[in-house]
Order: sequence, then structure tokens, then C-alpha cells
Amino acid sequence: MSETVDILLTVNGTQRSANVEPRKTLADVLRDDLELTGTHVGCEHGVCGACTVLIDGEAARSCLTFAVQVRGSEIVTIEGLAEDGEMNPLQQAMQASHGFQCGFCTPGFLMQITALMNENPKPSEPEIREALSGNVCRCTGYQSIVAGVLRATGQSPISDSTHQE
Amino acid sequence: MSQQVAQRYVGSPIKRSEDPRILMGAGTYVDDVKLPGMVHAAFLRSPFAHATIASIDTSLARKAEGVLLVYTGEELEALLTPGPYGLGLIMSMEKPVFSCLATDKVRLVGDLVAIVVAESRYLAEDATELIDVEYDELPPVATVEQAFDPSNPPIFEDLGSNILVQSEPHAFGDVEGAFSRADHVLRVTISQHRHQNVPMETRGCVASYDPATEHLLMWSANQGVHIHRTTISGRLGMDPEKVRIRTADVGGSFGLKLGGSREDVAVAAASRALGLPVKYIEDRYENLTASGQAREESFDVEAAYTDDGDILGLKVKMVMDAGAYPGLAGALPSMIESMLPSAYKIAALEFQSTVIVTNKATYVAYRGPWAAETFVRERVIDLVAHELGREPFDIRMQNVVTRGEEPTVMITGRSLVGVTVRESLERLGELVDLPGFRLEQEAARAEGRYLGIGMASYIEAAPGPKMPGMPLGREEMRMELAEDGKLIVFTGQMPHGQSHETTIAQVAADEFGVAFEDVQVVFGDSDIVPPGFTGGSRSATMAGGAAIMTARALRAKVLETSSHLLEANVADLRIENGAVSVVGVPASAMTLADVASAVRQPGRLPEGVDGELKVENAYDGGSGGWSGGTHCAIVEVDCETGLVHIERYVVTEDCGKLINPAVVDGQVRGGVAQGIGAVLLERSAYDDRGNYLTATFMDYLMPTTMDIPNIEISHLETVPLDPDVNFRGIGEGGMIVAPPTICNAIEDALAPFGVRIYQQHLPPAKLLELIGVIEPE
Repeated sequence: MSETVDILLTVNGTQRSANVEPRKTLADVLRDDLELTGTHVGCEHGVCGACTVLIDGEAARSCLTFAVQVRGSEIVTIEGLAEDGEMNPLQQAMQASHGFQCGFCTPGFLMQITALMNENPKPSEPEIREALSGNVCRCTGYQSIVAGVLRATGQSPISDSTHQE
Repeated sequence: MSQQVAQRYVGSPIKRSEDPRILMGAGTYVDDVKLPGMVHAAFLRSPFAHATIASIDTSLARKAEGVLLVYTGEELEALLTPGPYGLGLIMSMEKPVFSCLATDKVRLVGDLVAIVVAESRYLAEDATELIDVEYDELPPVATVEQAFDPSNPPIFEDLGSNILVQSEPHAFGDVEGAFSRADHVLRVTISQHRHQNVPMETRGCVASYDPATEHLLMWSANQGVHIHRTTISGRLGMDPEKVRIRTADVGGSFGLKLGGSREDVAVAAASRALGLPVKYIEDRYENLTASGQAREESFDVEAAYTDDGDILGLKVKMVMDAGAYPGLAGALPSMIESMLPSAYKIAALEFQSTVIVTNKATYVAYRGPWAAETFVRERVIDLVAHELGREPFDIRMQNVVTRGEEPTVMITGRSLVGVTVRESLERLGELVDLPGFRLEQEAARAEGRYLGIGMASYIEAAPGPKMPGMPLGREEMRMELAEDGKLIVFTGQMPHGQSHETTIAQVAADEFGVAFEDVQVVFGDSDIVPPGFTGGSRSATMAGGAAIMTARALRAKVLETSSHLLEANVADLRIENGAVSVVGVPASAMTLADVASAVRQPGRLPEGVDGELKVENAYDGGSGGWSGGTHCAIVEVDCETGLVHIERYVVTEDCGKLINPAVVDGQVRGGVAQGIGAVLLERSAYDDRGNYLTATFMDYLMPTTMDIPNIEISHLETVPLDPDVNFRGIGEGGMIVAPPTICNAIEDALAPFGVRIYQQHLPPAKLLELIGVIEPE
């Protein structure tokens, strides 16, 4: 039988425990063992960014991280962003900007953006594009996501369509 | 009809109903489905492109930890009814016939050899490595030359060769006359390279067979639950009524997830054998290698044109690489043929096509599957312009049709009613200062900087103009007024990013007379929703129209019923703001919830009056119509690195009346991004042994925030063709026309080097080759 290990970690402010194989990724532990399926797995080789979570405040790829590596860490996932069950200002700004379409890359983007906003409360458009260059979205062409970050940080959205508000 | 309700929602970029759940991580994608007792499948896949299976030994795998089931191809086939998979179902192709898993031979790298079901995916994958397969390699068929070489073995024996379809030349108009009148004939070979859908969510399913009831419940990521059900019930030999397909959120598809796959069938069969729920989620390696690929065609083109720049006719020979296990590809040549003239006065066309099979992934639908017609034509127009030393914009304006003037029909027979490509070109001329750009370009060249401008136009039958004998389809919809006064809409559309929960609700709310928030759109359950699918840019017209017609019918029924409750004439009643009232008598208002509840009470309605506030309807597409437009890119090519920077990208497009402008803009931009990726980055590459070379995101390069510019969009809403429904589809247009737009711009930038572009894929190394900085491979 595969050996398993007990781990303790804080997820979205709550202490959680799990008994996992050492080879099990953080993404799989979050999704399977802790039933937090908001974190999505897009490539399992660290390129697409869909699985991004915050580990001790830093954006990280949960598909490239073994759960046993983050024992005792503070993890924040997409489920941890809402405030009292309501969308937080970033989520509201993304809805207002029609930021996303299919929603699969969305959790990774929102976690990466959260890390960006923690570091830089008013990022410029080039800074936003640079910070999000490791997250792949197949639906939107990114403009609406960048517009959502600008809106969330109190800056004017890009205006270049006859219908942009 | 009582009166028109004010349009409050249609035309407005209102916020999406989908967003709170997807933004808070509360969506339900197929991998989020977890059923009690669920176990997990993994597949053993072929490492060879073409080989016979000499022997297969699964004994060790069967004994491995946590393993519940192992099937080889032969073992599984004994449990199935042969027939088509995926889009083969819709294409009704008789040959080739193939099995679910490979039995005697494998036909591509990544072909399915065995299925393993275990307690976890980790254990299932471990066990696949314990299966011992001996292969005898066969000569691979990985190129057009290899497919045509009769000394190579046929990939599918029942085809007798590696040629799937070969047509005689079809002639439209006076082809020889056009070529004899021409001052010049351009002869070129133009090709599109293989690339693929790559939705961020891979394919997957959870099958749950209940031995007690003999029913199968299957969750899956797909574009239409009923199409999926047909494949699953067909291959499992089950009554379709005993198969229920459910689908909630789908993480993109772009044509890939149409029809039940071979993997889906294998998983369903495993669930039936075990009596347990079985989950399979494709990983990215599998997705890139074997889920399906698109767009591998080459065209020998002759274009007849005059000194004055009139394009008189085309002769085109196409070869399309359908890959292995063909599904869609056989149906595309006729679409490409009929669309080639598009919105131009091209009066003669000869078209001949050959579709081959190779040891590569199946050619699948990808956002505008027939887009080669646009690429070929829009490249030819620029090449002709360069030969004549003319501005490509002027050649387009000279050759494009004008509304209300001859020709009103393409030479291939398709009606051009309502086509507004000319108007989109004119709008582009207003938005982009072409003479000013030429001055800027000249100044930049003097500094050793290479700027270029390119444009391209397209039209898409979304759904197409109504023509005799060619029905546009039948979109069913059901609506009912729930007891709480909410309007429930049941649609066969299967949204996977298109925002139908929002857009269909906008249309229905306006037409019925309720608040947007009081409309619930139900989709993705074959037991509940009418048949249908999302694809082909059809939903704006078809589902938009069905929503109008069905809401109108339900409104009439509610008013009729309310006339008894309110003791008033139907003609005096209206539904507004979620209440029925007598016009001019606000105090008479009865909320829809009160109406819905009253009709359920005995004695409130006269005998014989139907109190069921439900209607079913179907929409035939009305007058239909085209979408279309023109895109323009301004690029700079760095001639030292071969990198292309897109300085500006402008879209002028006409999809009729916009339901939700923000949704439309999102569809346009997303399509353009895929088109930019196709030209500058993406390629599904094989070597000449059929080894797949781009099986990770480090090899198959996807466009990022750094590659896609902000895209300016200008909407024309020119021609109302139909008295009721003038929404037209826009999902595919960006992906159809962006590739020639970018290629035309790059060719323009590299004009000082005399560069001509005949291939769509232009990564840095290719551009440096064209410029002459490096030697060709």
C-alpha cells in the first residue's frame, strides 16, 4: 500500500487536516480531500496557471506543489475571496467588465490578480499584462480581464469599442 | 397581440448571470462532479503512430493495487454495438468502421489501447504502466505524399487506400471563359497548418450506471446533451430513454466537445460492467495529443484577373488531412467550395478536393471549420494587389458586391442578401487612415523598421439567408410560468462560455414582460431540455428567435388565462414589470405569481380553459441572414528576431442587432486571439514518422496577455431582414478572419524584402527564413 502522511494546513482561514500520499499534489488535495473544487487543473505542468492559489501570501501553482510541502502553510483559494458570501470588489469588477467567459481559467487569474493587487494597488496596464502573462485564457483575448483589473483598482477601463461603457 | 413591451434588456451590456458562481469558484465543471462510490479511469495510449498490436498482457495490471477493471480493445468491443463516434455521428459516413479502443492496430500516437479503472486516478495510471503490449510497427502515413503513396498500407483496411474522399472538379460559371479573358493568372499554393481548439478544460465525463434500474446517468463536458446521448446509447446498445446526459458548466470547447467520444463510451461501458460511477478526466498531454486537431489543408490556386484588378475566376484544388478516425473532415470540402467566392463578384470557380487519412489526431470542428475559404481568398486578393502594384483595400472595394446590385447570388448559388462587407470596408476606411499609414510606413522603413497593414473580410452563414429547399434548422424551446411568477426557459443550447443564461434571459424577459432577474434558463439535461446544441454561430438567431417566439406564445396564453381572472378583454391586458393589468387601470394589476397560483386553484377558471401556463415552440430561423465584416491589423516585424508586434487591431463587423454588446465583443476578441495564436504561435506538429511533437504547453504555445493587443470594435447593424429576429451569430467570425488579416499585414511589412506568404504559420524562425536572415530548414 502507498504510505500516507497526515498534514495540517490553514485553508481560507480555517484549519484543515488530511491524510494523503506524499505524491498527491496540493491541487488534488484541495479538490478531492478538502472538496474545494473552485481551484481548477488546466495542464498539470505549471504553464497555464488555472490552479494558482496563494501559499503564505504568494501566488503559486498548486499542480506543481505537493500537499506535504505546504504543511502548516496558509492557503487561500478562490473560495476564500468572497466576503460574507458576496463577491468581493475584484469579483464585482470582473463581472462589471465581463472579464471571463467559460470560467475555467478564472480562479487562477483571480488569485494571481489578488497577489498583484496586494503588492501593487494601482498597477498600470503594462504591469497588469506582465503580471498575468503566466495565466492562459482561451476565451477572451485578455482585454476584458485587464479591464477588470483596472476597474478593481479604481482606474478607467480601456475604452475602444462603440459599446464599452 | 396586445402591445409591444418596451425593450429594456436586449441591446444592453448587462452583467452575466453566470458570473457570481464562476467568479466565486462555485461552478460545476465535470471534474467537480463527485458521486458516492466513484472510481477512476485512465487509458493506456499508443506510443506509435502506426503499428499492429502483436500481443497485449494485462495480467499484472489487473492485480495491481486498487484496480477494479482492465479492458483491452477486444474485450471492450464485445460489450459494444459498432457505429460512429464524435462527429462521425452527424456526418453519417459509412466507412471507415472502427472500434472504441484499438483492437488489431493503433493508428496514431495517443490511440486508445486499454482502459483501467481503479480506486483513484493515481492508481489507475500506475496500473496502465503494468500493461505489456508488443507492437509491430507499420510504415507511418504522416504526410500528404505518404498518404498518396500506394506502397504504404491503408490505415483503415475498409477504405482500401488512404484517400477518404476524392471529388471530380466542380465548375461554377464560365471558368474557361474567365481564364481566357484574363490578362494574368496567379498560380500559388496556399496552406493552413494543423492547430487545435485547446479549451482550458479538457474533455471528461462521469458515468454512473444503476444496475437496479438499468439506467445510465452521465455527466460530461459537451456542446449538446442529446447528440452525446445518441452516441452513448447507440454504442452501449441501450434505449436512449434509459440514458440521461447532464452537463453544467463547460470550460470551453470551440468545436471539440461535439458528440460522444471513444473515451466517453469506454468509461460508460466500464461503469455498466462495474455498477459503479466512473470518472475520467483527460489530462493535457492526452488533450493535445489525441483529442482532435484541425485545419490542415493545402490549396493549389489559379486566379484569373485583369490589368484593372477585376478578379474573374478561381481554379482551386484542395487536399485536406483528416487524420485518423475521421469524423467531420469529409463534410468540409463542399462548405469551403460553396463559400469561396464570398462577398466578391468572382464569376467563375472550379473546385476539386481530396481528403486523406493519416496517422494523426482526428480532424475536428474548430471555430469556423471551413475558414480555409477565407484564408485562401483573402490571401489571393492581396497577392493580386501586389502583382498589380495596387492597394489591397482598393482591390477589395473594386471586387466586393454592393447591396441591391448584381450579383445577388454567389456563383456557387448562395444568396448574398443582406451582405454588408462593402459597408464594413467603408467603415474601416473611416477608422484607419490608410494614406497616413503609408507615409508613416515609409518613414519607418527609412529607419529600418518594418510596419505593415493588412485587412481581410469574411461572411458567415450564421445561420445563413433563407433559401428555397434549404431549411435553416429547427430550434425548440419550452417556457413555463412557475408558481412564484418566475419565467423558466428550457433550451437545447449547451453554453460553454457564450453566456446564454444571460442572453436568452434578456430576450425572453423583454418579450414576456418580466424582470431579467425573474428568468431562469435551464440547459444541460437530456431528460428535461429539448434537443439542440451550441455551435456554428447559430444560437443568436436560432435560440434568440426561439426565445422571442416562445415568450410571445406564453404571453398570449397568460393573457388569455388572465382575462378570465380579471374579467377583462385580452386586448385590454398587458404584462409589464411582472404583473398583468388592464391598460389604464393600474389598480387592476395582478402579479404573475398571483396569476400562476390562481390558475392552480380549483374553480378560478371557467371549465375548459387551459390553466397550464406552459408552451412548447420551435423556430425555423425566419429570414436568417449573414454575419460578416472586415478586420485590419497594423503590425511591426522585428527583422532581427522575427517577432511580430501588433500595434493596432480594428474590427468592423455586422451581426445584426446585438443582444448583449459586451458578450458580442467578448466573442469577437476571443476569436481574434485564437487567430493571432494560430499565425504567430500555435502548431500541432508531427515529424515524418507521425510522432507528435507538441504535447505540452511548453511546445504548443498559447497566446498570453503579452501577445494579444487591445482590439477596437465597431458594430454595423445595417440590414433588418426579418420582422422579428435580427440577431446573427458572431462566435466564429474572429477566428475565421484574423489569420488572413495578420498574414496580410506581415506580408505588407516585409514588402521591401519581396516576401510572399503562402503558409499561415509564421513563427519567428519562419519569418527570418522568409526575410533571408536564416536558411530554410
